Amino acid sequence: MATFQRHRLTPWILLAPQLAVIAVFFFWPAAQAIVQAFYIEDPFGLGHEFVWFENFARIFTSFEYLRALGVTALFSVSVAVGAMSLALLLAVQADRVIHGAHSYKTLLIWPYAVAPAVAGVLWMFMFDPNLGLLSAGLENLGIGWNHRVNGGQAMLLVILASIWKQMSYNFVFFLAGLQSIPKSLLEAAAIDGAGPWRRFWTVTFPLLSPTSFFLLVMNSVYVFFETFGTIDATTGGGPGGATRTLVYKVYEDGFEGYDLGSSAAQSVILLILVGLLTLLQFRYIERKVQY
Amino acid sequence: MRYRRRGLDITSHTLLILCVIVFFLPVWMAIVAATHTQSSLYTGVAPFWFGSEGFGNFLAVLSDPVGRLGTDATRLLVNSTIMALGIAVGKITIAILAAYAIVFFRFPFRMLCFWAIFITLMLPVEVRIMPTYKVVAGLGMLNSYTGLILPLIASATATFLFRQFYLTVPPELLEAARVDGAGPWRFLRDILLPLSKTNIAALFVIMFLYGWNQYLWPLLITTESDYMTVVISLKRMLTSADNLVPWHTVTATALLAMLPPVIVIVLMQRYFVKGLVDTEK
Amino acid sequence: MATLRLDGLKKTYPNGFVALHGLDLEIADGELLVVVGPSGCGKSTLLRMLAGLEDITAGDLYIGEARVNPLEPADRDIAMVFQNYALYPHMSVAGNMEYALKNRGVPKEARRRKVEETASLIGLQDLLDRRPRQLSGGQRQRVAMGRAIVREPQVFLFDEPLSNLDAKLRVQMRLEIRRLQKRLGVTSVYVTHDQVEAMTLADRLIVMNEGRIEQLGSPMTLYDQPASTFVAGFIGSPAMNFLSAEASGRTLSLPCGNQLHAPVDAHGHVTLGIRPEHLVPVEESDDALAVQVELVEPLGADTLAYVQLDGQAEPLVVRFDGARRLEEGDRLWLAPDLERLHLFDPEQGQRLTTTEAITTP
Repeated sequence: MATFQRHRLTPWILLAPQLAVIAVFFFWPAAQAIVQAFYIEDPFGLGHEFVWFENFARIFTSFEYLRALGVTALFSVSVAVGAMSLALLLAVQADRVIHGAHSYKTLLIWPYAVAPAVAGVLWMFMFDPNLGLLSAGLENLGIGWNHRVNGGQAMLLVILASIWKQMSYNFVFFLAGLQSIPKSLLEAAAIDGAGPWRRFWTVTFPLLSPTSFFLLVMNSVYVFFETFGTIDATTGGGPGGATRTLVYKVYEDGFEGYDLGSSAAQSVILLILVGLLTLLQFRYIERKVQY
Repeated sequence: MRYRRRGLDITSHTLLILCVIVFFLPVWMAIVAATHTQSSLYTGVAPFWFGSEGFGNFLAVLSDPVGRLGTDATRLLVNSTIMALGIAVGKITIAILAAYAIVFFRFPFRMLCFWAIFITLMLPVEVRIMPTYKVVAGLGMLNSYTGLILPLIASATATFLFRQFYLTVPPELLEAARVDGAGPWRFLRDILLPLSKTNIAALFVIMFLYGWNQYLWPLLITTESDYMTVVISLKRMLTSADNLVPWHTVTATALLAMLPPVIVIVLMQRYFVKGLVDTEK
Repeated sequence: MATLRLDGLKKTYPNGFVALHGLDLEIADGELLVVVGPSGCGKSTLLRMLAGLEDITAGDLYIGEARVNPLEPADRDIAMVFQNYALYPHMSVAGNMEYALKNRGVPKEARRRKVEETASLIGLQDLLDRRPRQLSGGQRQRVAMGRAIVREPQVFLFDEPLSNLDAKLRVQMRLEIRRLQKRLGVTSVYVTHDQVEAMTLADRLIVMNEGRIEQLGSPMTLYDQPASTFVAGFIGSPAMNFLSAEASGRTLSLPCGNQLHAPVDAHGHVTLGIRPEHLVPVEESDDALAVQVELVEPLGADTLAYVQLDGQAEPLVVRFDGARRLEEGDRLWLAPDLERLHLFDPEQGQRLTTTEAITTP
């Protein structure tokens, strides 16, 4: 790479704003979180005590935390599977049709722009126990709907809202992935006697695997962090913690329970989790570069 | 390779159109509900067709304080706009400069800076929320636009995109510019920025959406309604209701909250798709 | 206009790789010096050091009287034409050409005049408002030339400027570069890996190998008296044939049994070099080399034949008149032009000019 060689100060001037912002708002708080995770602080900030791994021990033996872990896992898998399979199905159709692929893209892409909280509110209206269209429909089928009381239904609500929003993101990537598959490959497979169904599973699908893996990670990250808005606006983690994800618990313990040590320790665990996910993704992408 | 089968084509179109309709349904229901009065809404199941209010509910939330929020939706939209623009412009600006330094200069600790910046990719604000809140509180930035914007600029997505793009710029362009007498700042202004136009546009869309749709951070640091964003206001409207949710105003506000980002994404779809796919590659 | 002087110019990369081993060279005012060599020989590094795009590890570089080592490219008063042209894609042709003038603070009106003057010199006057992507390869090449000319530099540097063009256009642009360079009289250094381009353009020619100058001289000197097997193999197409032989005084014995009169005294094992065009077909005789045709390549004006000679692993290449009809399997007798034989040290590859040079038994 060609570079400017004789300028010593210029790069630092260029980097200064970025470095300043990440130092103050990223590294300093992140360091604080890590330190805090090893202390127990009393809620009024009057004193604190170094406790080694007690916060972590407390977390992993807490039923509430393990439950939040389970909720997050269920939530992640449901959204990832739902949003990805739907997106793949639609992307394959849009890639197939000769006319209108672009229009379908426009017509399907916009939910990505909707805030997770707004998505939650829209679906909450659909399922409103008093006047929701879908809750009324379910009522007719003999299923009583009230996500304010029924934990499973609350979960279903946030899952649906998240799939609705996340599908468009996956759709964009799957369509791009499909369109980048060389047509000659599929033609070769056709000459080799593979029918459309077989071609999809033996050629298209394997070639989409890097995209799929990437999307799996991105969907998990989405569920981990961005669904906070959906949950807070619709269920508030309830009823009875049925939709309380890990991030929601960090927030509750920190800002409502004032258990700063525990909240910080949970942050650190999340940090490690996300770190691992990202690492996994980098490794995987590096390995799959040959595609 | 496509099979020209009419039957298959019709199935595909049907499936796609069906999904387009299902995806639009919640929005349609919200649009319809926003044209009704509360009492006409609560007569049974939510209506499928427009009510008597027309744009009345929208005008009402835009001009009068909504519920117990103590502020009107105009203020909320202005706040959201400032935040989204601040984040988009701020992030793009510092990213252009930082990526420029990392790609086009050689200096001590370059790799350290590189990793320091890129490690931020891994950790969204949600993970370090509590200490970040304390830092911002300590700087006296609660209830301020700087407090809303600055901490969300501290991640490297944009820097990463610009780095990727800069690496594709032929090195000879830089050499030609050096021979032509352009120093670092001139090269940035005359050559690199004009070449980055589409990338800047793509990133602008992504960052605008990111900023507009923020939830947790503004929820924490805006205790005063003067700085509240429109996305946050929905929760307070829902919870401040005594018993029945005022769906006619909630849907109106929700629609207002999604209108700007949806317009942006539809108008700038080309850049958005390119930017999205590029950022993640 | 200026001379260019290189004094022990050396380049070592941070990883320890020595790209140039100390080059001494003087390029006369208005001369066109071509640097040719295989990729990785250091020719591009040399050019980039002249331009100021690479730091000079040791040694001095003078343009005219001034030592320019510490100067930025822009301050050296040079212009460079890049292999891929490096045109600014977002600027018009005029914009590309005037950018350097703009950076020097030349007023707008003067810039416009200069650009138009140069454009008409190289036939770009109708394209000034176009963007590079709207131009053909040849036109882009012209713009790159124009961008260099418009600044009236002391030195032109060309970095394989024709390698991205198709064969026909390459010949045409080669002529044009030669004509322009003579007309403007600007000292030029031209780097290429194409020996035809090198021969046709150069006032003087440098063949480089592994960071060293193998030989410097006029194109015909390099052709007639190559200093080493490397130069001999690089200049001339098809390449020179090399045969192993035993020398004793002025007598060369080939493994096939023939004996030849050597141009210089030598003793022991030597490498004999014969160009394809210096093997002449003759009537059958004991003195002639008896060969069998393996492969025929008719080129029109000439016909190349790959022929097998006893005792040689590789077939020899022979250039025949295009009118001559040859078949695979034909037996022929060839006589080398004894005035144009070349002898080389079989180990080091240097040209042998004296008897002392040979020590191997």
